[in-house]
Amino acid sequence: MYGVVFRILKKESVAEEVLQDVFLKVWDRIHQYDAGKGKLFTWLLNIARNQAIDKTRSREISKEQKTGGIEKLVSRIDNEEYIEQRIEDIGVREILRGLPQEQQFVVEYLYFKGYSQAELAEEFNIPLGTVKTRLRLAMQHLRTTLGIT
Amino acid sequence: MNIHEYISSGVLEAYALGALSEQEQAEVEKNLAQYPELQRELEQIEAVQEDMLMRAAIKPRAAVKAALFDTLDAHPKAEAKVIAMPPASSSATIWKYAAAASVAIALITSYTAIHYHGKWRSSEQSLQGLIAQNQRMAQDYDQVNNRLDNIEKQIDVFDNPSFKRVIMKGTDNAPESMAYVYWNEATKEVYLSIQNMKELSKTNQYQLWAIIDGKPVDAGVFDADISGLLKMKDIARGAVTFAVTVEPRGGKESPSLQTMQVAGNVVKEG
Repeated sequence: MYGVVFRILKKESVAEEVLQDVFLKVWDRIHQYDAGKGKLFTWLLNIARNQAIDKTRSREISKEQKTGGIEKLVSRIDNEEYIEQRIEDIGVREILRGLPQEQQFVVEYLYFKGYSQAELAEEFNIPLGTVKTRLRLAMQHLRTTLGIT
Repeated sequence: MNIHEYISSGVLEAYALGALSEQEQAEVEKNLAQYPELQRELEQIEAVQEDMLMRAAIKPRAAVKAALFDTLDAHPKAEAKVIAMPPASSSATIWKYAAAASVAIALITSYTAIHYHGKWRSSEQSLQGLIAQNQRMAQDYDQVNNRLDNIEKQIDVFDNPSFKRVIMKGTDNAPESMAYVYWNEATKEVYLSIQNMKELSKTNQYQLWAIIDGKPVDAGVFDADISGLLKMKDIARGAVTFAVTVEPRGGKESPSLQTMQVAGNVVKEG
């Protein structure tokens, strides 16, 4: 859960706060979980993801990310969280390494950067259907990579 | 519903990612309940998702866990609330609700109509693209297949000992010219392979002749620009010589011998 939230928010303090919110939400809504509609993990994932994405859209984060430019780069390099993130990303790359470039891209943006399919389609000018089929191909590929039958 | 198409649209992946609108989500859930095949597919997608994300998991600081439990202790678990339905007071309120409901339905319907129209257009476009691509591939495939067929046929001819190769060398008319005839006496098949023949004007064509019992027999016409083996007319037993003349396009019944370009004798066996 934390990994999902952290990758989207990229800042430890914010991610911890959101994680806290996620668990509170789960605590409150656990009676809404319906096993017939999917695994508990998926349900949790979607709560965490949505909470994190909501956070990125909220004012405080967007302001921080907009003050970009060189200062941001310097501060990010100084930032130990940034280094931590790089190390964690190696784990993700490991898993995605076997995928064709365009599928890797889709998985990375959808799962680790908190993009929605529509945003990805719009921002990178890929038809939405293509985003979907690429994700599908990627997931099938990963099925083999991860040995899930 | 075509289950296979439904699955390959990637809708289940989007569902597992929580990327669908509430309406789409409800539709997927309805289908999931109806088709066990979809259920199985979804389970696998979820397993991949879980496995991938668990491998990419990051451990939060230990303090986070402690803080979380503190908050949870302070946070009462929401009990299921029972809300009594207000009794329907008067018909006026009912009409008000009905009007509000119909407006809401109208809004939702037009929104979905626009939404799906957009989706339909984009999928229509991708489909057109795919169809075009598919046709190109099919054409390419046909071409390659044809070439392969030709090459296989040529190999059969070259490989088959029943085919005799007759080398036709250039006559005084065209000393540089040369062509081969592959002739199977048993099956009567004749193939021609051009080594070097001059281009002719459009009104003329080359014509191949077989000399049997001293008489020329027509074996078909050809142009200078063919490549590979060209199947000619069948020639029965007894041909001793093959020769090529220049004739008006379409060929003639008897050769204009003065125009002979190449000629060669069939090599007797033994």
